[in-house]
Amino acid sequence: MSVETINLTWEIKSKRIVDEVSLKINQGEILTILGPNGAGKSSFLKLIAGDSTASDGEIKFDDIPLSNISIQDRSFMRSVMSQSQEIAYDFTVKEIIEMGWIDRGISDYSKDFEEAVKKISIECSVADLLEQSFNTLSGGEKRRVHFARTLIQLWRPSGSDDPRYMFLDEPTANLDILHEQKMMRLIQNKRDEGIGILLILHDLNLAAKYSDQIAIFNEGKLLEIGAPRTVLNEETLSKVYGLDMQIEESPFRINYY
Amino acid sequence: MSSILSKKVHSLKFINSFQTGILALFVISTLLILVTSITLGSFNFSLQELLNDSNSLDNIVLLEIRIPRVLLAAFVGASLGLSGASLQGLFRNPLADPGLIGVSAGAALGASIVIVLGSGILPDFIFGTLILPISAIIGASLVISLLYLFTQGFGYQGITYMLLVGIAVNAFASVGIGILTYISTDSELRGLTFWTMGSFGGASWQLIIPALIIISLTMFWMIPSARKLDLLQLGEPEAYRLGVDVRKLKFKVIIASAITVGISVSLSGMIGFVGLVVPHLVRLIGGVNHNYLLPGSAFLGASLMMTADLLSRTLIQPAELPVGLITSAIGAPFFLWLIFRIRKT
Repeated sequence: MSVETINLTWEIKSKRIVDEVSLKINQGEILTILGPNGAGKSSFLKLIAGDSTASDGEIKFDDIPLSNISIQDRSFMRSVMSQSQEIAYDFTVKEIIEMGWIDRGISDYSKDFEEAVKKISIECSVADLLEQSFNTLSGGEKRRVHFARTLIQLWRPSGSDDPRYMFLDEPTANLDILHEQKMMRLIQNKRDEGIGILLILHDLNLAAKYSDQIAIFNEGKLLEIGAPRTVLNEETLSKVYGLDMQIEESPFRINYY
Repeated sequence: MSSILSKKVHSLKFINSFQTGILALFVISTLLILVTSITLGSFNFSLQELLNDSNSLDNIVLLEIRIPRVLLAAFVGASLGLSGASLQGLFRNPLADPGLIGVSAGAALGASIVIVLGSGILPDFIFGTLILPISAIIGASLVISLLYLFTQGFGYQGITYMLLVGIAVNAFASVGIGILTYISTDSELRGLTFWTMGSFGGASWQLIIPALIIISLTMFWMIPSARKLDLLQLGEPEAYRLGVDVRKLKFKVIIASAITVGISVSLSGMIGFVGLVVPHLVRLIGGVNHNYLLPGSAFLGASLMMTADLLSRTLIQPAELPVGLITSAIGAPFFLWLIFRIRKT
């Protein structure tokens, strides 16, 4: 089971911001997209999230074209986290996290709702913030709250084999290093539960450490895709970023100057 | 395999017990104010007297004038409160008001046109009970159509356009009303001025029954969307990712507001600030989630409007103040306080 794109293209004013990208996000795998600003990473994420419509090409969720899946059904199978907007009213942190709970009407697991919120709040280290007003939080704390909401959206009782995917655009932005590492480990845990994960990151070493596959985007095109150690080589990175890169093998580390 | 029997119903309400308690208080106070408003006025009634004597002049005043008037005030208040709360949710802006998207102005222009151009031609009966409300609703609907055209079917592109079109429509309507004021005769002018300040004086059963039915239906149609309005606060893309059909939701809020506001304006004139102030009070009392906010705003709107109408009837009796004057006198300082408060945070 996977999310697959075939020759996905998005053209705005005859400029191709996503240019014939074909790749697969497999369940139980972390795929990270790297690339300089304007490489089309976030645009690609918007297309597979369904926010925007592609000019050409296909997107398939478990072999079903995205356009054949209802807005409601999409929300059951994938959650998305990107830069968030200001919230005008004083919702509590708990209310914001609970917004991730998709109402499926009568179901056999909404009884687990309170427990799921509690468990995920602890995992995301926001349990102490639950009763606070969301608007008073710091940038990093807000990020963690939105991440908790993203996880609640995909919450399932144990043993469920629903296909699930998570698309995260720079989830670790604004986080201190402790919470950055915690979040990346949490993402790995979710991968081990079988969720297919698409990440956009800027930190090459963070990507190398936590990804199963890495895709490098440049000027809207998918340049390379594969295991971190094969894709992350001095030649490709120097060319894409326009910076001198040096790679140390053990421990694996990318240095740039 | 899980059997159907093992699946328990756990429908989540997203409203806490404190808020449910407050809603209950709102309902009780609405009923108390309803009874008080019916008994007080230039004719004072005692319920006991009325029960003993069912054919007096008092009784006729009560049944034919007082009760329809109070009911109309309650429903107009509820309409304005609810549409204010929904629009503030839709625009994600605490300053949004039914007047904002130009629907009130459209309704006002529609009504002004017939007041100035039509009153001489048509007999009073047809004019008052039919033509005035209908033309106001037509005015409101035209504004909605215009909004719809300009924002391309409420597409998934943000709502800034809608706000800008609202500004333009408001400006256009005030030009229209200004021209009508200029060309109107003295008596028409008096009708126009009084009407633009708002009053519930013209209420009769014949006039309000269809209005009350339509307003009630619209409310029952709107309130189940409360949870979706909560999700919309995260931003349109986020709401969509959480399964909300944003286009449908926008369409629903706009249509519901247009119907309730259009009818309210046509029956009682322009009554400002209720749609702005009421949702804010409700939020201050118990929280911001729409499952609480929408019904809360409807009930508090009804209570406040009946109170304002009671004041308008009793302050300088036997004469009457326009009710819009009272709501604006209270609402305008509140509005300034609100802006001050937003600037501070």
